Amino acid sequence: MSTYGTTRHHAPSAFSTPASTTLFRRLTWEGTVPLEIRVDPKELPANSDRGLECYYIQAPRVSYLPLLMPEIRRFLMDVVFDEAANKILKEEDWWFESEEGTLLKWHWPIGLIYDNHTISSSIRPSSQASTSQYSVQVNPLKLILHLASPPTEKLLLSPTAEACKQAFMGQLKEADFIRWGSTKRMTGLRKAEQDGIWEGIKEHNFDDYWRVASKVVPTTAPARTNSPPPPPSSASMHSRPPSADPQGAPDRDGAYSVRSVPVRLYLPDGPVMQDLVPPTLDDGLPHTLAHYLSTHLPLLFPQPPSSDPNLAYALIQGVLAPPESEMAWLGACMAGADGWVNVCVGIAR
Amino acid sequence: MAQVPGSPDETGKHASLPWTPGDGGESALEAIQVLETYKKKDPSKVVVRFKAVGNAPIMKTNFYKITAANRFQAVIQFLRKELGWKAGDPLFTYINLAFSPAPDDTVSNLYKSFATEGHLIVNYSTTAAWG
Repeated sequence: MSTYGTTRHHAPSAFSTPASTTLFRRLTWEGTVPLEIRVDPKELPANSDRGLECYYIQAPRVSYLPLLMPEIRRFLMDVVFDEAANKILKEEDWWFESEEGTLLKWHWPIGLIYDNHTISSSIRPSSQASTSQYSVQVNPLKLILHLASPPTEKLLLSPTAEACKQAFMGQLKEADFIRWGSTKRMTGLRKAEQDGIWEGIKEHNFDDYWRVASKVVPTTAPARTNSPPPPPSSASMHSRPPSADPQGAPDRDGAYSVRSVPVRLYLPDGPVMQDLVPPTLDDGLPHTLAHYLSTHLPLLFPQPPSSDPNLAYALIQGVLAPPESEMAWLGACMAGADGWVNVCVGIAR
Repeated sequence: MAQVPGSPDETGKHASLPWTPGDGGESALEAIQVLETYKKKDPSKVVVRFKAVGNAPIMKTNFYKITAANRFQAVIQFLRKELGWKAGDPLFTYINLAFSPAPDDTVSNLYKSFATEGHLIVNYSTTAAWG
């Protein structure tokens, strides 16, 4: 069992990270999806080697398209484009589209782009039932790379690694605020640590990332304490005052003490829903995925005692998540590297 | 290995599949119709309070009702217009003096997550502060 905490006062250091938490974090980190990248044939520069313009990457779910650009560019320059093309092409004008014409966003983690495509496919009549609820098939996501005229108003961000880093840090801060009502855990990091967390993403290094992330991301306790659950969350957005009760201290930084878990809900072709997700409900029971889904999408996930079947399924990190999963646990173990649990809902066929 | 509370149970039996299948095509059609209802744009408006930071000018009116379904990008553009600033002028926006949201986050989502006292606070400045 490895320990990631330090003795910094705001680090979750009261207990070492349980092995199963580390396991799921590592599984999430190591998750990859297959991408097939093809330059739009209409835009291939003259003298390109047309036989080879398709590039395959097994990309980490927690990474971002701008971080793949150097590799893609190297391949295209070495193998496909000729010298003249290499001189004129500007990487900052490149952009990606799915086969169906969906614009791909620079600031979405690749895993989210993939799962979002999976659920969007689930509503298309031509879907070859490849999203059977028993086994979600893994097909390469086919991307079309355009080399010019990026639709900047829709892309909203430039494709540079720097813009990507800023967006990523912004998401970490937003997640921090969701959990605790302040960003002091993030702003309390030294600059070197903040840069280090991004380096962990760029280099895809689990240890480098979690060395810093463990100071910010809540962890799960080895055994739940018998202390009473936190009071029902009120409309107040202020952070809870530090507990004077020594018994409450062990879970202070824990996953079940957050004000809300950072979760976003994606429907095929939108919208994206975000709301407060308390770790425990008013009756003291843990907030489960089933409860979350039937609260936000009651027509798709009817609440018991209704015997209507679910019309949909939920993917988290590409996995069909069990409905009894607890939201707090998901926030600690299966969130993306940016701190967010992305729940992608597709139609069951 | 101790079972961590909250982790999915490993029953190992396929009988415990979480998602019960629907009746094939019919339920898929029903689901697609349901999705249309969820896609409907919320016409309601929420109150956004703009607060200047540092040297940024304070506007005469600071409270605005903004359509909840709008993306935050639209709020930035609206603010730019109210301030009379051009597209190239530096404008940095934050929620609750804490973070900059993704431009495609909706006002509705931000309001639900971060509103205080019935309004969503959007700080604006000419320089990057909490970036």
